Amino acid sequence: MGRKPPTTCPSSRPEVETHSPLVCEQGIANSLPAMKLATIGIGNAGTKILDRMLEFEYNTDRNLCRHALAINTARTDLAKPDFVPEDRRVLIGDTHQKAKGHGVGGDVDIGADVAKTDIEEIRRAFDDVEIHDVDAILVSAGLGGGTGSGAGPVVIDELQKMYDEPVYGLGVLPGKYEGGRPALNAARSLQSFVTNVDNFIAFDNDAWRMRDQTIEEGYEDMNRELATRIVTLLAAGEQDNTEVAENAMDSSDIMRTLNTGGVSSIGYASSKIDEEAGLIGKFRGDVQDFDDGATDAAKIKGLVRRAVNSRLTIPCEVSSADRALIVLSGPPETFARKGLESARQWLEQEADTVEVLAGDDPRENASELSAVVLLSNVTETPRIKELQSQAVDAQEKIKAQDAVREQEIEELITDDDNELDPVI
Amino acid sequence: MKFALVGVGGAGCRLVDQILQVEQGSDRSFSGGNVLAYDTDKSVFETLDAVPLDRHVLVGDTHEALGGTGTDGDIDQAAAVAQEDRDELHREFDKLDLHEMDAVFVVAGLGGGTGGGVGPVIVEALTSVSELPIYVLGVLPTKAENGSVTLNAARSLQSFVTHGDNTILFDNESWYDEESPLAEQYWTLNETIAQRLLAVFAAGERQSADIAENRLDTSDVMRIMETGGVSTLGYAETDVHNPTTLFQRLRALFRNGEEDTTDAIRIKALVKEAAESELTLPCDRSSTERALVVLSGPPHLCSRKGFEKARQWLEEETDTVVVLAGDEPRPTADDLRVSVLFSNVTTVPRIEALKEDAVLTETS
Ligand SMILES: Nc1nc2c(ncn2[C@@H]2O[C@H](COP(=O)(O)OP(=O)(O)OP(=O)(O)O)[C@@H](O)[C@H]2O)c(=O)[nH]1
Ligand SMILES: Nc1nc2c(ncn2[C@@H]2O[C@H](COP(=O)(O)OP(=O)(O)O)[C@@H](O)[C@H]2O)c(=O)[nH]1
Ligand SMILES: [Mg+2]
Ligand SMILES: [Mg+2]
Repeated sequence: MGRKPPTTCPSSRPEVETHSPLVCEQGIANSLPAMKLATIGIGNAGTKILDRMLEFEYNTDRNLCRHALAINTARTDLAKPDFVPEDRRVLIGDTHQKAKGHGVGGDVDIGADVAKTDIEEIRRAFDDVEIHDVDAILVSAGLGGGTGSGAGPVVIDELQKMYDEPVYGLGVLPGKYEGGRPALNAARSLQSFVTNVDNFIAFDNDAWRMRDQTIEEGYEDMNRELATRIVTLLAAGEQDNTEVAENAMDSSDIMRTLNTGGVSSIGYASSKIDEEAGLIGKFRGDVQDFDDGATDAAKIKGLVRRAVNSRLTIPCEVSSADRALIVLSGPPETFARKGLESARQWLEQEADTVEVLAGDDPRENASELSAVVLLSNVTETPRIKELQSQAVDAQEKIKAQDAVREQEIEELITDDDNELDPVI
Repeated sequence: MKFALVGVGGAGCRLVDQILQVEQGSDRSFSGGNVLAYDTDKSVFETLDAVPLDRHVLVGDTHEALGGTGTDGDIDQAAAVAQEDRDELHREFDKLDLHEMDAVFVVAGLGGGTGGGVGPVIVEALTSVSELPIYVLGVLPTKAENGSVTLNAARSLQSFVTHGDNTILFDNESWYDEESPLAEQYWTLNETIAQRLLAVFAAGERQSADIAENRLDTSDVMRIMETGGVSTLGYAETDVHNPTTLFQRLRALFRNGEEDTTDAIRIKALVKEAAESELTLPCDRSSTERALVVLSGPPHLCSRKGFEKARQWLEEETDTVVVLAGDEPRPTADDLRVSVLFSNVTTVPRIEALKEDAVLTETS
C-alpha cells in the first residue's frame, strides 16, 4: 500500500476482502495480522485522545498506531502531549491573521480556512509517513471547538484524495452543558465528518461526564476510557509472532464491519483475571450478571452482554446497528469458544442483524479479560438529534443578533434627535 | 494576550502607568513595555512612575492654543491639532513592537479634551497602520463634572466606538465616592480598572504558568471582542481559607435540590457573584451579545462541574449562545477569582443619561 497510484485504483473505495463470520462451523479464521494504523489528532481534544491512545498502547504492549501526528492551531496545546513525539506535532495557521498560533477561538470556519491555507504543510507532514504498511487512517477530533471541527474535515478530505486506505473518524460530541455555540459547531462538523470518512466513531461527552472533578483533571478519565475502547478494538488480532489462534480476529473483519459508513458506537466490559484459578475472577464493573458457579462460556456471554449494556461511547438504539463485531481480548486460556459463539448469536438478536462477527484477541500477559463490541452504523442516537436541535436554536439566535448588531450599537451611541456629533 | 498600551490625556496616561506598574510587579508579561503616553499637558508626565521618559509624547506644544498646558477641555481643537500633527503622532508608533502584539488598547477619559479629542484620532491612525484589533479602554465622567465634560464624553463615545474595534468602559459615576473629591480617588479607581482588565486580558500570560486545561487562547478573547460596540467587566474573588460563612450564603443561593460538592457550589456562586457584581459599566446583562468567563485559582479547588454549570447559567442569564469559559491555574494562590467580560452590551442606562445631559448642554 502506498500513495494512490494514479492509474491502478478505481475511484470507489476498494471493498475489504469479505468472508463469513469468524466463529462459524468451519471455525478457523484466515488470520491477517492485526491492523496497522496511522493516527492523526486534530485540535486540542483530538490530540489529547491520540496521546491517551498511544499511552494505552504503550502500557499494554500493543502496536497499533504506527504513525502519530498532532495538528493544531494553538501553540500551547501542542506542548501538552506526553506520547506524540515533538517532531510529529504540526502547528498550522501561525501566519493566518486570525489564528497566529493562538487557536481559532472556537470558530469552525476559521479552523477550516486555516487548514485549507496550510494544506501544503499538512501534506508535507505525510511525506514523512511510511504509509506502505498502514491499513487505515484514524483522525480524532473534538467537534465542539474550531480546530478539530473545522480543520478535521479538510484534512480528511485531503487524506481521502491521497490514499486508498479507509479513513475513520473518532469524534467527540460536546456536552449539552457546553452551550449553543459548540453544539452548532458540532452539528455542522458532524455532517462534514460523516460524509467524508469511511466510518465515524462517536463519543458523547454528556454520557461520560464524571462527577466531582477539578478542571485540571478535566477529561483525563474519559479520554482513557475512550482510548481503551478504540485501541482494544482496532488492535485486535494476530500479533506478528504469536501462534495462530483458532478464532483470532483479523483486521479485515474489523474493516468490513466499519465499511457500512455512518456513525458507530463502542461498548466495553472487562473482568480481572483471578490468577490462582486462571479463570475469570471477580468482575470489575458495577453489574454482576451471573453467579460464581457459572461456566467460562456463560461468563464470556455475560461479559459481552455487559459490554453492550454498558455505557456506550455514544448511547444508541442497539437494534439500529447495521453490522456488529465482538472482540474478546485477554489471556487465551480464558477464552471459551462456545461462550463467544452464543454471545454472537445473542447480539445478532439484539442488534437485529445477521452481520455479527466475533473473534479473539489473545494477550498472554493481560491481567483482564475484556469484551469490546462495535455497533456499526447506528441510526438511532438521541444525543445527535438533541444536538441538532440545540444547534438550530443557536444558529437562529446568532443570526438574529448579527442582524441587529450594527443598528443597536448605533442606537446606543447616538441620541434620538441627532443633536450630538462625533468628534471625528 | 499580548497588547500594547497607548494612554491619551490625564486619565489615559495614569491608567497606562497603573497597568504597567502591575505588570512590572507581577510574574506576567503582556505589554512587555510596549507603551506610549500622549498628552497635551506636560505636567501629567511628572506624575507617571512606570512609563519611561522616551514614551512620553507631548501633543500640540507648537500650537499656540495648546502650548504644552492642556486643552481646557476643548475637544474639537484637540482633535484638529491631532489631525494636523498626524504624522508626528504616527511616528511614535514605531516605538511599539506591534509584530509581537495581539492587540492595542487605547486608554482615555472620554470627557477630557485630550482623551476625547486626541484619543479617537489615535485610534483611527492605529487602525490605518495596523492589522491588529484596536480596543479602547475608556472612562466615563461623573455627573458632578461640568456640562462640557459630559458633552465631550457623549461625542467622543461615538468616535471611539465607530473607529475602535471594541470599547470597554468604566463609569466613574457608578464607582466614585461622592463624599470626597474625584481627583483624590483616581488611583484607587485606576487600581480597580487595571485589576479587572488584566484578569481577563492577561490571563494565561503568567511566565511560570502551568498550561490550563481549558485555557482561553488569545483567539478566544478576540472572538468575544469581535462584536464591536461597548463592553463591560465584572469580577469577584474569595479567600480559599475562609469558607464557613461563605457556605451558608452559597447554600441559599443554589437551593435547587441537586447534590453538588462544596467545591462545585463555591465555583458556581463565585461566577454568579462576578456576573452580578457592580460592573465597570452597569448595564442590562441580557443585552450582551457574547460573554467570557475566567476562573483563576488553585487547580484543586476548580471544580469542573461547578464551572460548567456556572457557564451554562451565564448563557441562560445573558440569553446568548456565545459564552466562552476558561481557567487559569495558580497552584500556590490562596484566593479564587472570577472575571466576566460582557461584550457588546446595548442596554446601558448610564449612556442614555449621559446622552440626555449632553443634549441639554448642547442645546442650551
Ligand atoms: N477613573 C479615572 N478617571 C479619570 C482619571 N483622570 C481623569 N478621569 C476622568 O476622565 C475625564 C477626563 O479627564 P482627563 O483625562 O484629565 O482629561 P484629558 O484627557 O487630559 O483632557 P484635558 O486635560 O481636558 O486636555 C475626567 O472628566 C474624569 O472623569 C483617572 O486617573 N482615573
Ligand atoms: N472527550 C473529550 N472531549 C474534549 C476534550 N477536550 C475538549 N473536548 C471536547 O472537544 C470540543 C472541542 O474542544 P477543543 O478540542 O479544545 O477545540 P479545538 O482545539 O478548537 O478543536 C469541546 O467542545 C469539548 O466538547 C477531551 O480531552 N476529551
Ligand atoms: Mg482550543
Ligand atoms: Mg489633561
